[in-house]
Amino acid sequence: MLGKLILNKEHLSSFLRKIAKEHELIAPVRNRYGDTLLEVVSSVDDISLDLEARPVMPPKGFFLPRVETLFRYQRKDGHYSFKEVLPNVSRVFFGLRSCDLWAILFLDVVFQENLKDRYYLNRRSDTVLINIGCREPMENCFCKSAKSGPFLTQGYDLQFTDLGDRFFVEIGRPRGRELVEKWDYFFRPATSGDRDEQYEIVLEAESKFGQKVDFETAISRFMRYEIDDDLWEELGNRCQNCGGCAYVCPTCHCFDMMDRPVSDTEGERVRTHDACTLAGFTRLAGGHNPRRERGHRLRRRFYHKLPFAQDKYHRPSCVGCGRCVEICFGRVDMIHVIRMVCKKPEGPREASLRLGEILLDAGLISWKELKSTLEKQAGTGKRLGAQLIEDGLATKEEIASALSIQLGIPETEETG
Amino acid sequence: MHRVLTTCCFCACGCNLYLEVEDGRITGVIPSREHPITRGNLCLKGWHSYEFIHHRDRLQSPLIRRHGRFVKASWDEALDLVTARLLEIRDKYGAESLGVLSSAKCTNEENYLLMKLTRAVLKTNNIDHCARLCHSPSVIGLNNAFGSGAMTNSIAELAGAEVILVTGSNTTEQHPQIARFIFDALAKGARLIVVDPRRIPLSRFAHVYLQPRLGTDVIWLNGMMKMILDDGLADDTFIKMRTENFEAFTEMLRNFNIEDVVTISGIRLEDLRRAARMYASVKRAMIIYSMGITQHISGTDNVQSIANLAMLTGHVEQEWTGVGPLRGQNNVQGACDMGALPGTLSGYQNIADANIREKFENVWKTHLPTVPGLTGIGMFRSAGDKKVRGMFIMGENPALSHPDLRSTRAALKGMEFLAVSDIFLTETAELADVVLPAASFAEKDGTVTSTERRIQRLRKAISPVGESKPDWQILCELSSRMGYPMDYETPAEIMEEIAFLTPIYGGAYYNRLEHGWGLFWPCPNSHHPGTPFLHKGSFARGRGRFEYVRYRPPAEVPDDRFPFFLTTGRIYAHWHTGSMTRRVTALSREGPEAFVEINPKDAKTIGVRDGKPVRVFSRRGDITVKARLTRDVPEKTVFIPFHFAEAPANILTHYHCDPGADIPEFKVCAVRVESVQ
Repeated sequence: MLGKLILNKEHLSSFLRKIAKEHELIAPVRNRYGDTLLEVVSSVDDISLDLEARPVMPPKGFFLPRVETLFRYQRKDGHYSFKEVLPNVSRVFFGLRSCDLWAILFLDVVFQENLKDRYYLNRRSDTVLINIGCREPMENCFCKSAKSGPFLTQGYDLQFTDLGDRFFVEIGRPRGRELVEKWDYFFRPATSGDRDEQYEIVLEAESKFGQKVDFETAISRFMRYEIDDDLWEELGNRCQNCGGCAYVCPTCHCFDMMDRPVSDTEGERVRTHDACTLAGFTRLAGGHNPRRERGHRLRRRFYHKLPFAQDKYHRPSCVGCGRCVEICFGRVDMIHVIRMVCKKPEGPREASLRLGEILLDAGLISWKELKSTLEKQAGTGKRLGAQLIEDGLATKEEIASALSIQLGIPETEETG
Repeated sequence: MHRVLTTCCFCACGCNLYLEVEDGRITGVIPSREHPITRGNLCLKGWHSYEFIHHRDRLQSPLIRRHGRFVKASWDEALDLVTARLLEIRDKYGAESLGVLSSAKCTNEENYLLMKLTRAVLKTNNIDHCARLCHSPSVIGLNNAFGSGAMTNSIAELAGAEVILVTGSNTTEQHPQIARFIFDALAKGARLIVVDPRRIPLSRFAHVYLQPRLGTDVIWLNGMMKMILDDGLADDTFIKMRTENFEAFTEMLRNFNIEDVVTISGIRLEDLRRAARMYASVKRAMIIYSMGITQHISGTDNVQSIANLAMLTGHVEQEWTGVGPLRGQNNVQGACDMGALPGTLSGYQNIADANIREKFENVWKTHLPTVPGLTGIGMFRSAGDKKVRGMFIMGENPALSHPDLRSTRAALKGMEFLAVSDIFLTETAELADVVLPAASFAEKDGTVTSTERRIQRLRKAISPVGESKPDWQILCELSSRMGYPMDYETPAEIMEEIAFLTPIYGGAYYNRLEHGWGLFWPCPNSHHPGTPFLHKGSFARGRGRFEYVRYRPPAEVPDDRFPFFLTTGRIYAHWHTGSMTRRVTALSREGPEAFVEINPKDAKTIGVRDGKPVRVFSRRGDITVKARLTRDVPEKTVFIPFHFAEAPANILTHYHCDPGADIPEFKVCAVRVESVQ
C-alpha cells in the first residue's frame, strides 16, 4: 500500500470502532460542559469528537500519570517485602495535535537516554500515535515557531489532514501501517489532486499563525548570558507560584517521589508530577534553598526549557502548544518571556509612553489628551513633554513636579 | 477512569475542576477551561485539592470519648449519644445553653439543614459560623450602606475596570484567580492602587502604593474622601439621585483634620492625593478588600467608609464598577445566605420579624425562637444564665481559628458536651465527647456559593471514605432522633425547600445549575437569569446611606513591654487551620513551618538572624517560631500566619471585637519578640 491514503469521513466512526475493540482508544472529546479533554473512548457513538480545540491537558499524563504507584511494600516479622506495580496497556491515540505528538517523541528521548524508565516505556511501547494536522491555529498557538507543527513531516504513526468531506492519511511508522493494512477496505489511495489539495492546506495553515516567537534570538541571548537579573525579578513578582505551567506543559516531566503509608505495616511508593517553580522543588534537606527567590526559579525554568534543551537535544523543549500562555495568572509564559528576552532597549516612543503614564497618574492629563498628543507628536517628532507644553495641556513646572514625585528624582530643567 | 466536574473546596473564587476517578479513588484534578473564572488553571492548592481525600488520617468511623480516650463506635451509638446529651442539657438549662457552629466548608443544603435543626429542633438561635471571623463587618456594613452585604459585581468585571483599589487583600496569594483578572485589567491599561501595611506582591504593580500603619483605615479613607470633595471630583448627580444623609456626612467630613493622615496613618498627603484623583476621575472603578479591612474593632466602620468612598464618586450600581469584599471559604457566602447566623434565617430574613417567622413556621410546622442568638465569639465568652454548655460543631476548628486560644480552648474544654463532625481529627475534634466522621467535598452532592454570589454544584465523585457520611445525612439522622423527622432523599430536595423559603435563591433549582456555570443570586424564580451585578438603577435598600465614621484606634497598641504590632494572616500554600493542606505533600513542602516576618532593622535590634528561632510574647501567651527577615513588613510590625497548630498565632491574639459585628481584631495586637539562644 502506498504512503498516502484517503479515508472518507463517513467511515471514521467505523474505523475508530474497530480500533476501540482491540485497543484502548484515546481521543479528544468535548464533554457536556464544553471542555475538551483527552478521554478513553469506550463507545464511539456516545462521544462528541473535537478535532478543533486544544485539549485542556496534554497527553503526557497517559505515560507519566499525575500520581503513579511504583511499588507496594509490606512489613512483616521485621522484614520488608516489595511488589512492583508495572503498567500494561495497549493504546491508540487518535486526533492528537501535532505539537502534543511531538512532545511525546521528546519525552521518549528523556525517559530512555540514561536510565530506561520501565514505567514510562511500558506505557509507551504498545502505543499508536495518530495526529491531525491543524488547519486553524488557536489564539496562542506557536508550534510553527517551535518547529513542531502545524503538520509533521516525521514521528507520527499516522497523520490525518481534514480535506472537508474526507481525510488525507499519511503513514509514518510501521504501527500506523499495521492499523491501515488491517482495515484497508476503509481506505483508498490518494490521487495527485488529493495531494495538491493537502499541500495547499498545509501552506495555508502555516500562513495563519498570529503568534511569531523568536526562539533563535532568545536562545542565543540566554547562551550569551545577556539577560538582566531585573527581568527575572519582575517575572518573579508576576508569577503566582501555581505550578500550572509545568502541569499543563506537554514536555515538562519533573517528578517527585514519596512513600505513602496506607497502614502501620503497609504502604506504597508513588511518584507525582512536580513543578520547578515551587520553592520546595529546590530546597535542600537542611533548609537552604539555592534558588530561594521565585525569579531565580523562573530563570532556571526558562534556561532549562530553552538553551539547555537546545544544547542537549538540539531543540527547545517547548513545542508551542500555547497552554501556558492561555493559563498563566501573571503572563510568565513562553511567549511573553521570549518577547521580553528579545526586547530591544527602550526607544523614544516607549519613553514618551512612560512619561505619559506618570502624568496620567498625577492626574495632570487625561487619557484622551495623552492619546491625541501622542498622535500629534508622531507627526511633529517633538518630545512628549514639549508637545504638551506647546498645546497648553501642562506647564513645565507641573511635569517636573509629577516626575519628581513618581521617580523620586529632584526637579530639574531637563524634563520630557 | 472517569472524570466528575465539581467546585474547588478551598477559596471562594469558585473554580470548577474535574476530579479524576480510578478504581474508586481520586487520582488527580483537571481545571475546566470553559468555566469563566477557572479559565484552564488552578492555584497550587487547587491543583492539589485531591490528595487529602484519601489521607490515612481521614476519620473512618464515629468516635466516643470513654474514660478520657476515644474509642470507635457505631453510628447508632454516636448519634443516640449526641441526641441524648444535647436534649438533656437543653432540658436542664434551657435552649440558650446550646450553641451550634455551622461550616463555610459545607454545602448550602447542609448549612440550611443545620440552621433549621438549631432553630426548629434545638429551639435556639445560637448558631453562627466562621463568617464571624472574616466578613461579618461586610454583611453589616454594606447592608447598612447599600442594602446587601455581598460583592456588588462579578469577578470577571474586574478586567474592565479603569482603576482598581485593593486594600487589606493579599489578592495574588489568597484569591489568585481574582488577581488574574486584575492583571488582565492592567494589561489593558488600568491603574492599580494598593493600600496595605504589608508590602504585598501586588504592590509591586501598583501605580500608587500606600503603606498605612495598622488599624488606621478610617483615617486614610476619610482623607481621601475629603480630597475628592475639595477637588470637586465627587459625583454630585449620583449623590443627589441615589443616596441619603450626604449633608450630615459632608459636614462631619469638612471638620476632618487632613494632617491626621500624616500623623496617624503615616501616609504622605501627596501620595494620597494621587490615589484620590486616580480613583475619582474615572468612570469605572472597583474596590477590592478583604480581612485587612474587616478584622478590626472598627471593621464595620472601615466597611462603611469604603461604601462612603464608592458612593461619593458614584462608583457603584454599574457594570465594571463597585465594591468587592472577597470572601474566603468556598461556601462562606452560602453559609451566610443560608442563615447560619444568629439573627437571620436563610436569605437574610430577620428572625425578629414575626411575619418572616410565620412563613418559616408554616413550612417547618413548628415554633421558632424569637430572640437573636449568640455569635460564634459570644458562645465562648458566655457566662451565667446565658452560658453555653453544650455545642455541636460542624466542620469548624475554633481551637485554632479563634483568638486567644488559651481561653477559647478552656471554654471548649469546659463544655458539658461537645460533638464535632469533621473529616479529620482537628484540634477542636480532639476536645470533643463525640466525633462524627464526615464525607469530604468529593464524596457528596450539593451546592456552594462563591464570593461573586455564583451558586454552583458540588458533584459526588466517589463513595464516602470508610463509614463517613455527608453532613446533610448526619443532620437528617440527628434531627429524626430528636423527634423532628427529616426525610430528604437528596440535596436537590433540600434545595427545593430553600428556594421556596428564600427569595434570593428562588430559582436555584438543580436542573438550572447543571449547565451554564451556575447562577448569580438574587435569582427570585425559575425563569430569572440571575444577577451578576447588584443595585442596578437603585440600591437594594432604596437609597445608599452615607454615614460619617470617626477614627478609633485599635484595642491594643504597642507599649514599652510589648513594643511590636502583630498582624496575622494566611500564606499561599495553606488553607486556614491546615487540616487539609498540611496533609498534602506539595503544599506542606511549600509551606513546611510557621514563621514570623520581621523587618531586618528590627531583627538587628533583637539580635536574630534569618531562619533562627524567636519567641513571640503577648499578654495572652507566647509561641516560638523561625524568623523570616523581609522588608515587606514595616519596622516595629511583625506578621505570623495562623495555619500552624504547633505554633499557633492565635495564642497571641485577643478577644476585643467590633461592637456591631463581633469580629475579633486579628489584625492588630501588641507583642514582644526575643531571640532564642
